[in-house]
This record gives sequence, C-alpha cells and structure tokens, in this order.
Amino acid sequence: MTTKQLVEQIEGEASVYFDTDDEKVVFSTIAFPHFRGMENILKGKNALDALVITPRVCGICGHAHLMACVRAIEDAYKNAGESVVLSKKAENIREFTVVMEIIQNHLKWIYFVLLPELYKRSDSKQTSYPLKGAFGASLATKAIALLGGQWPHSSYMVPGGITCDPTYIEILQAQGFLEELIAFFEKESLGVALDDFLAYETCKEFAQGDADIAKIEAYLLQLGMHEKGLAYDRFIVLGKHQFSRQSKIKQTRFFSVDSKYVSTVESFSPNEKTFARNALYKDEYYEVGSLSRMMSLQIPLIKNIHRRYKDSAYSRVMARVYEVAHLMKHVKELLSEVRIDENSFNKPAPIETLTASGVGIVEAPRGPLIHKIDIEKGMIKNYEIITPTQWNIGSSNKNKLTPVQKTMQGHSKTDALFIFRTFDVCSVCTTH
Amino acid sequence: MHSKQEAKPRLVWIQGVTCNANIHSFLNLPTLPSLLSKLNMLYHPSLECSHTLQEITQLEIACDVLIFEGTYDPLLKRNDVLIADVVKHFAQEAKYVVALGSCASFGGIFKASAPKRNSGLIFNEKESFGPLLESQKKVINLSGCPVHPEWLGYTLNMIINKKEILLDELHRPLELYSHLAHHGCTRNEYFEWKVDAKEFGLKEGCLFYEQGCRAPMTHASCNKILWNEVSSKTRAGTPCFGCTEPDFPRNNLFSTQTNMSIPQDVPLEIPKRAYLTMTGFAKTFSIKRLEGKLIDYKTTR
Repeated sequence: MTTKQLVEQIEGEASVYFDTDDEKVVFSTIAFPHFRGMENILKGKNALDALVITPRVCGICGHAHLMACVRAIEDAYKNAGESVVLSKKAENIREFTVVMEIIQNHLKWIYFVLLPELYKRSDSKQTSYPLKGAFGASLATKAIALLGGQWPHSSYMVPGGITCDPTYIEILQAQGFLEELIAFFEKESLGVALDDFLAYETCKEFAQGDADIAKIEAYLLQLGMHEKGLAYDRFIVLGKHQFSRQSKIKQTRFFSVDSKYVSTVESFSPNEKTFARNALYKDEYYEVGSLSRMMSLQIPLIKNIHRRYKDSAYSRVMARVYEVAHLMKHVKELLSEVRIDENSFNKPAPIETLTASGVGIVEAPRGPLIHKIDIEKGMIKNYEIITPTQWNIGSSNKNKLTPVQKTMQGHSKTDALFIFRTFDVCSVCTTH
Repeated sequence: MHSKQEAKPRLVWIQGVTCNANIHSFLNLPTLPSLLSKLNMLYHPSLECSHTLQEITQLEIACDVLIFEGTYDPLLKRNDVLIADVVKHFAQEAKYVVALGSCASFGGIFKASAPKRNSGLIFNEKESFGPLLESQKKVINLSGCPVHPEWLGYTLNMIINKKEILLDELHRPLELYSHLAHHGCTRNEYFEWKVDAKEFGLKEGCLFYEQGCRAPMTHASCNKILWNEVSSKTRAGTPCFGCTEPDFPRNNLFSTQTNMSIPQDVPLEIPKRAYLTMTGFAKTFSIKRLEGKLIDYKTTR
C-alpha cells in the first residue's frame, strides 16, 4: 500500500510516497509539485539581468545563485578569449558573503528544523527556540548587507568584481557582527570556545557541556540515528572554494572531478506530477552538502565520525553543525586579509560583444549549484540550473535508488521522515 | 507580559508562486520576538504556529489578517487544495489582507511563469485585476523583491495598535512608499551636480546616468530605513532595480536607457525639458572634489 506524506517546514513543500511492509519502508518516491520556470523566464534577457533574476530562485540561498551566475558569465568571457581579472579583494569579499549565507542557512536549519523535530521525537520536555536561529542568522546577514547592500536578494557581484567599495568602517563592522555571531554560537550552541570545538578529535567530545550541540548529539544517539539513514557512502564536492576541496569520494578513497560528467534524468514519480530532475555524476548518485565538504577536508573529527557511523543521519547532521564552526573560523581570516586599496571591479568587454557559453559552479548551503549560460551578443539564449537538492533528494525507480530513497529504506515512516529532513531539503530550488 | 491569546489578531500566512524570500527577509526583523508575541499565528510556513498546512487547507477556521506571499496563480494547489479557494476563504472574514512582496502585489518575477493567468491579488502590474478585486479595500500591498522586514513590521504593528494605514493609489502604505529609494542615498551630492559613476566598484558617483539606477523613480524607503539595519543597494554600489514598482522586473537592469546620451526616464514628475536644461548647466561645472576619489588609499600615506 502506498501512503502519502506531505512534508512542510522545509523550504517549500514536498510529497513523499511510502510503500511499506510490516511498518517498514520498502520503497519511496518524492514529488516536488510547484513549478516556476526560471530557466524560461531568463531566455531572451540581457545576460547581466540574470544577476538580478537568478538570486530570486531561492529566498534562503539566493546569494549562492548570484555567485554561480556571475561565475557562469565570467566563464563565458574566458571561453570567448576575453580576460576577466578579479582582484584578490573582490574574490575574498565574494567568498565572505557566500560563506555567511551558508552559516545563516545552517543556523536556521538547526533551530527551525532539527531541534524542534528532535524534541518532538524524543518526548522531551524541553522547549525549542527557533528564534535563536533567526537571531544568529540575522547577524550573519547584517555582515553580508554591509558589502552586498542587502540580504536576501543582493546583486552586488558583477563580471569583473563587485559593486561595493568598502572602507575599513564596513570591514570592521562586518568583523564586529562576526565576532558577536561567534560569541552567540559558542554560548548557545557549542558550550565551548570555537577553537576548542574545532580541535575535537573524536565524537565522544560532543557530550561536553549542556549547550544545544550536546543535546542534539545525545538525541541523535537516543534515536539510533548513528545506525540509520545510510546512503551510498559516496560524496561529491564540485564548487571551487577555499573552505572545501573539489573531489569525489567513495568511502575514504579520493578521486578528481570534472563537472562535464554531471547529467540529469527525469524523476520517477508515479503518484504525483513532479517538476524536479535527478542529478548524477558519471551515471551514479552521490550525496552532496556539508558532510561531503567536510569529508573532502579530511578533518580528524569528521574522519572519526565517519569511521564509526559512516554516512548515517548522525554523520550528516553533525557534519553540518561542525561546518558552521569551520566556516566561522575561515571567514574570520578571510576578512582580515581584505586589502582595501585594491580595485573592486575591473571592467570586462561590453556584454553586447559576447557570444559564448559558460558554466558557474559554487558550493551552496546544500551542495553544488551549477548554472550554465549560452550567450549570443549579450543576450541569454539558454540557461540551465542544477541545484543541490536534485542530487540528494532525487526520485528514481527501484533499480537505482537516489541517496534519500536509499537512506529511508528499511525504517519506520517516522524515522524515514526524520532522515529525509537531515538532508536540509530545499523545495523551491529544486523546482526552479 | 503575556496577554490573552484570544485578544491577539489571528494570522494566516499563505504562499502562492514564491521563492520564500519574504519569509527570510522578515526573519531579519530585530524586534521579531516581541512582534510575534502580539500575534496569534495560526499558520506560517516556517515559524511556530498552531496549525498544519493540512489543517489550514480544510478551510474551516478564519483569521483576522491574511498574509499572501508570492504570485497568485489560480491553478496552483497547496496540499491538493486550489490556492484560489484558500485565498477566497480566508479573505472573506479577514479584516486585512497583506499582499506581501512584488509578486503578490503586482505579479512580480513569477508572473512570467504563466503570464496569461498569473497576477497579484488586486493588480496585474498596474492594472486592476485579480481574485480580491471585490474586497480590495482590505488589501494592503507591500511591494518589494523581497519586502523590507521593517515594512511588514510597521504594517502588522499598525494593525495590532488599531491605527489607520493610509494607502497610495496602488494600495501601498504612504508612510513607507511616499519616499523614493533615492532619498537618503549616500550618492545624492553626485546626483545633484550630475557626476556619474565611472564604473562599478566605486563609492563615488551617481548610478543614474550609466548603471541603470531607478531610485529617483522608485517609491521605497530603502535608503531611509536601511536593509539589515546597515546598508542599501545604492550604498553598496548596486543600482536600484525599481523592485517595488509594478513594472518590475524591467529589462537591461544594469544600464540606463538613453536617447542621444540623455536618460530616457527622468526623475519622477520632473518636466523633462527642465531636467535636461538643469543637467546641461550642472555638467558645465568643474567640481574637483566630486571628480576625484574621496579617499586615495594608494597615495595618501
């Protein structure tokens, strides 16, 4: 028998259809019902307008879309033999704001999705405070706005650099917000100093203190999530950044990657029309996102977690939590390296002279985000977007399960739905 | 102190075709906890609320304030219920309907998803059109892509405090939209003396002449009530794209349309001829301070 479960309070909604046997999930399919047609909307527009339109794919990770878009246009310039020179300052500031967006995303996920769900599942008397996440996130977005003008929906990255021209005032203010954010995260979430947390070598150390991370870990173990929610133990990181390493990982073996092997196929969704396509690499499904990125860095703590619990729901959640701390430390350094006297912008050839194609890839909060653009005399001939949730939350037939389908198999529906959420699902991006 | 739940306005937040950015913008509101404590949140897609989407789409309960985010698509369903029925049901008893963001106000970005049927709640761009025309008196348009958190905060607090909200002809609160995005821009002096920004990435120069800035024609208080409390597009060197106006998104957003090097659109309600005369005159001045860099980090050591 197939039963439908509407999943809400993700970014948008999804329908999950379960086939169960003796209360255990034997097969599941996923539908994302809301179509928007962003790629069609872009056709025929000036290529630079994509810098304004594509962030509007998503309210929580629009900045990642902006960066993927500007990288795609810059790649098109390069493919046309036109140089686009980015100053170190522009590169660092772009990276800074993109990372801050990931941090705000993860904080919201921890406090809006994860903790309330854990408390509900474990009959805890604890009250969850989602607004804690909103507070932390708002400190991160203030820092973005100092450089990008606003968040959400900034368009401050343009081919050749960034539109802002900050003084040390903005840089110091951004550092101030970051320091406040780190203090908040240490007090409310970690229960220990950031550097001490980052120096953990085994997951036994999570149990220190009574801050939120210790509670999260304890509840995950209590629910057996260290033994549930395993996918293929295959990971992929495609975006080029300083905070992770482009790679394909099978168990613990590393391979190089090239985005030309990425493809998409139609979803299998017999019960409801879906507008999502599944993403694959060399015809295989991979998990993307925080766990993959943290695996790519071979961090002792993450290696320890993976050795014990493989790619379980526990590992997926704790890697995301760890990534917040990792990124906070990274951006602190990034900002201190910004040299104010460098150019923000180096003007490229006029967009009207450009006829070429380009690909832009970034690591968005949930994993690799790919934008592909075909430009003819400055106008968009074709645009294609592949989002992270298309990798993790694909819906396929029984012969070749996607990561999320594999993770839910064999568990109760309640466990399966919790595992579903551990991927941090973005419905709006998926049905761009 | 906690006041009685019954006395608080009951709020339902429903989504049409959307990117969720109005939610994420709202979450930046510094006074969010105190504002939420004054509301009875029946349904919200992300925040804590007393009902699920399944329950709310039974269409059995009523609310005092309906917030509708996203473009209105009469064929869109949530939980298998037509959004058209959901809007109609909740709008009937609600005292106020807030069309949140430019999509809900005028159609916005996602009007183009299905241009023939999608619209805002009472406008299709600037023409009267939409599902709530008959009850348009209760509709407040909070345009913007996304809406500024303080604009929604203002509107909800006015409703909570039972104060009258004065609206413009496009149903936008005058206190928020009688200003232009230009007001308070840190580049105003360059606009006054017609000194254009030579390129992107400079704190000097006005973005109106080359970079497509729509701030002098756009009703919004972005430079009065700053974004995320700290900045705005124009302060960060990005042109205003006119996202609060019914014609958003326009085309060629990063360049100014000109006729014989004169901007095609001049500041709001300024006679074109007078504007051009004044511009020509101002351009003859040579103002050294406005032509150079404000701070030269390379040579000022």
